[in-house]
Amino acid sequence: MSDAATLESLRLADSFLPVGTYSVSYGLEQFVQDDRIEDADDLEALLATYLRRQVGPADLVALRAAHAAAREGDLDALCAADRRLRAVTLAAEFRESAQQSGDRLLSLQTDLRDDPLLADYADRVAADESPGNYAVVLGAATGLAGVDEREACLLCCHGFVTGLLGAAQRLLSLGHTDAQRILDALGAVMTEAVEDSADRTIDDMTPFAPLVDVLAADHERAERRLFAS
Amino acid sequence: MAADAPHPAFEGYATEAVPQAAVGSPGKDGVLELTFAATADGTRLVHDYATVPFHVSGTLGHDPHPEADTVFVQSPTGGVAQGDRHDVTVAVGEDAVAHVSTQSSTKVQTMTCNYAAADTALRVEAGGHLDYVPEPTILHADARYLQDLAVDLAPGATAVVADVVVPGRLARGERFEFERYLSRVRATGPHGLLFEDATHLTPAESDPTAPGVLGEYTVYGTAFVLAPDRDAADLSDALHAVVSDGPARAGATALPNGAGVAVRALGDRAETVQSTLHAAWDHARRDLIDAPAPSGRKY
Repeated sequence: MSDAATLESLRLADSFLPVGTYSVSYGLEQFVQDDRIEDADDLEALLATYLRRQVGPADLVALRAAHAAAREGDLDALCAADRRLRAVTLAAEFRESAQQSGDRLLSLQTDLRDDPLLADYADRVAADESPGNYAVVLGAATGLAGVDEREACLLCCHGFVTGLLGAAQRLLSLGHTDAQRILDALGAVMTEAVEDSADRTIDDMTPFAPLVDVLAADHERAERRLFAS
Repeated sequence: MAADAPHPAFEGYATEAVPQAAVGSPGKDGVLELTFAATADGTRLVHDYATVPFHVSGTLGHDPHPEADTVFVQSPTGGVAQGDRHDVTVAVGEDAVAHVSTQSSTKVQTMTCNYAAADTALRVEAGGHLDYVPEPTILHADARYLQDLAVDLAPGATAVVADVVVPGRLARGERFEFERYLSRVRATGPHGLLFEDATHLTPAESDPTAPGVLGEYTVYGTAFVLAPDRDAADLSDALHAVVSDGPARAGATALPNGAGVAVRALGDRAETVQSTLHAAWDHARRDLIDAPAPSGRKY
């Protein structure tokens, strides 16, 4: 990869990136509320489930398709992956969170880069013709920046886990060293998730975490909450 | 035998010859077709065709909805065996109201080669309503089962589609001993895909009891309340209130593309999951067609 692509990937992977990661917990808040997560081990096990059951079989499949579509300048394929990801994301809160952070990343990228494909895609999203999911925007941004597809997948996993670790630090008494230890320990699971997504077409997205869905449904109606999901 | 598997995960199985009656031979390729239409005397079953292992003994008229017709599909066999390929088509005409279920649980038998598959296509015309709520699927040890269900809704059509999976003969201590279970539900409307849901379990490869997956629960079921022309947010909140205090761990959420509401339920026994989903079904049916859900009487 070129230096510019490496720097772009570092920028996109940084928790400094203003995409509202601080406002989403993808059901984690409800798992803590339910006393299902009490320590670092519980947290690591749940994050492994997210990677294996949601990120690998769904988000990364969409990200790869978006990455390829962006490289080929295929706006329709980009939007098809985007719509497909929305259609397989059954928890309403998760769709909202993915669209909100996707929207922020898309407006940031269109501000920074003058790219006709990204601009056309932003028009489709604005016209409600495509949902603008975070994984799809990230796939398009990395594809256009020359970040390798596999790197982009790892970047997505890393961003997802660091985001949830940040949420966990506010929900649990989780120290910085514990957070780093979990992030480090999940490296193998991230690779597993990336491998799992490699041979899937967008017609074969199969996220499956029913207990997460049920707890997210409770979270939707929670009266007091820190996070939007 | 051709590798006819509709999913890559089943391709290896498809190449394995079946020692008993071959794939596609009588009794292995059960076909079921049911067509309902609205008539001056309410909804009637106007076409039915069933080959072994499906059997239709006619309709029952005890649905609480005055216009509705009911079919309980029977099976004279002990369950689904390796090499079985079932094909089910249910069509509900304009303004017709139909309820289709099975008489007893679908038992997917132990397999040593090949796999079993069921392909179900449901279609509801404008103003029609279908309740497709079969009894649970029980996966015996070493079973390999692929289930595809597609439901297509015309404008103004509604449906309730439910599915409960039991991961073994729980009373004898068998759980999560099956080899592979893949169940896909896909709903489409006039503008294409509404949502797709997949349950893919391979207990030997990936722990189904992991946190966030099934956790401490064993039985899992979902009821999809499909009503693209309704306000899903209100119905979702109402259904969540109905199920969240029930015997199963359950919740409701609005489906993508305004398709309706998904109600997911997890429990330790089929009965708790079924009764929780039945409560959601009952509420949804009152909302959609102004009649309670049928009681569960199967005769």
